[in-house]
Amino acid sequence: MGTINSAFSLISGALDADQSALSITANNVANANTPGYTEETPNWQQNQPIEINGGSYGDGVTETGATSLRDSVLVARLDQQQQLASASSARLTALDNVQALFTPDSGSISSKAGDIGSDITSFFSSFSSLEANPTNNALRQQVLSTATTLAGDISNAAASLNSQRSGLDQEAAGVTSQVNSLTKAISQLNLQIQSTSPNADAGTLEDQRNEDISQLSKLIGINQITTENNGLSITTTTGQLLVSEGSSLQLTTGMVGGVTDFFLGGTDITSQLTTGGGELGGYLTARDTDIPSVLSSLDQLAYNVSTNVNALNNTGTDLDGVTGTVANPLYIFNQPAPGAVAGSAASMSVVMTDPNQIAAAGLGQGTGDNTNAVAMANLANSSIVNGQTPTDYYSSFVSTLGATVSGVQAENTAQNASVTQLQTQNDALSSVNLNDEASAMTTLERSYQAASQVFAMLNTIMASALNLGDQTAVS
Amino acid sequence: MASNPEGIEEKRAMLEFGARRELPELKELVMEASSALARLDANRLQELALSCQALNRALVPANADERAVLASQAREATEEMAVFARVLEATRANLNVMNRLRELRAGRLEYGQVGWVPTESRHGND
Repeated sequence: MGTINSAFSLISGALDADQSALSITANNVANANTPGYTEETPNWQQNQPIEINGGSYGDGVTETGATSLRDSVLVARLDQQQQLASASSARLTALDNVQALFTPDSGSISSKAGDIGSDITSFFSSFSSLEANPTNNALRQQVLSTATTLAGDISNAAASLNSQRSGLDQEAAGVTSQVNSLTKAISQLNLQIQSTSPNADAGTLEDQRNEDISQLSKLIGINQITTENNGLSITTTTGQLLVSEGSSLQLTTGMVGGVTDFFLGGTDITSQLTTGGGELGGYLTARDTDIPSVLSSLDQLAYNVSTNVNALNNTGTDLDGVTGTVANPLYIFNQPAPGAVAGSAASMSVVMTDPNQIAAAGLGQGTGDNTNAVAMANLANSSIVNGQTPTDYYSSFVSTLGATVSGVQAENTAQNASVTQLQTQNDALSSVNLNDEASAMTTLERSYQAASQVFAMLNTIMASALNLGDQTAVS
Repeated sequence: MASNPEGIEEKRAMLEFGARRELPELKELVMEASSALARLDANRLQELALSCQALNRALVPANADERAVLASQAREATEEMAVFARVLEATRANLNVMNRLRELRAGRLEYGQVGWVPTESRHGND
């Protein structure tokens, strides 16, 4: 080119570039409140120099599109932390419900699972009362009444736990359709991105894909693998393929052992999803680990109390002078099959209807004897449940549950804090605002340094406070 | 990042916090610190650091009863300290990631690699 047209070309090129840049800026402003939108900046490409009469004049610039200000590493870490936070949130909600079940209802006289601790005490105390007057019908009735309350509270607790487990099962199954919808959308976006922007940032399309991945991260644990031409494959955290560029695999469900299992391409991946993270991981951990663990402890308590009390009552003599036999046992509680601990809590009930059948007297003793009532009262202080007394076992079980809830709470707080922090950093980098990245980094560093000081100081204060022998303030 | 740069809300909260009791319970201090760190509220954290310094200086129990109260408070705050430690740990991990990203960017700028748009140049004279 060597004409006046070339000069005009240079000028109009610059004007066009400015116009395009303005258009990108306007787009940024218009989308300032669009979730997941990433600020775009214009890309400038230097033009070939223009030769006019042998001289080289300028080169001008051309606007060649926009680049989104996103950082894939930061976004990936945000997604990863989101998976963990979602998992612990879902698990914590479930555990809170379980813990609420075992919280004593102070002042209530109605039958409640939370009263199991006091029920155990009342039940064995009723035998202590019977010792003093073993033929008293009211005291015998009191034994059956406290036994009924104890059995009712334990079986109600088991029923509530099973109900909560079913609820979690449904919640988990409900996630499947959301996951499938998102993986399908991501695969379609992959195709669009690969066809329109194989070598550059795809702007809005990539925003949409990132937003979908973020949503997917809240639901299940995933890994992202960047592929050719700006494509993306997504797997579960244990490597099962969910999205392979333009195609997606559908997650399916099926009932296995009374609960919903999850399948990918015919393979049962329930256990992998459980440890993977996301809401689904949290639901499955609560469904398959936490609640079964609580149920198992409750089963153990019910089994050992029932079998030990029944065994003693069966060897004594009741008010009618009868002693239990194999054919006609004198059982207070429904007797579990030998070794059949599982399900003992749910099936715990009082089978004895006649208070005269309480065998307060010892074998071969007169009906006014109290030897067996003493022995049954002493069960309260005997290590009959996994080496602990019934009350200690129950207290220990409730404490363990509390510690689990507390641990998950701590985990969840830390993970949510991490997500909030990363979101702040990501917003500063990729959202449409006036704060720049350096400012966000400074805030993060200042916060960390100040928090470290606070932590060290609090640690010192607490050590000092706990060390009562040292009465002076720490310096 | 602080939600209100002027720190008005933090100052108000601090005044209310101080007005509630002369010696705030350790548990509350620790919970407040975790929360401020989650929000990246550097101003609030710096205020808390000063509060803790003052508390540490004033920590001279006059008698056995006060020492017992203080020891009890410390025991009650143990769980919250565990939470605070976790949040601090998560923050350190995030800071490491951000520092690493910054180093990567700096490296790209230094060696002029293609594909990186310096954030500093995206406003102003473009």
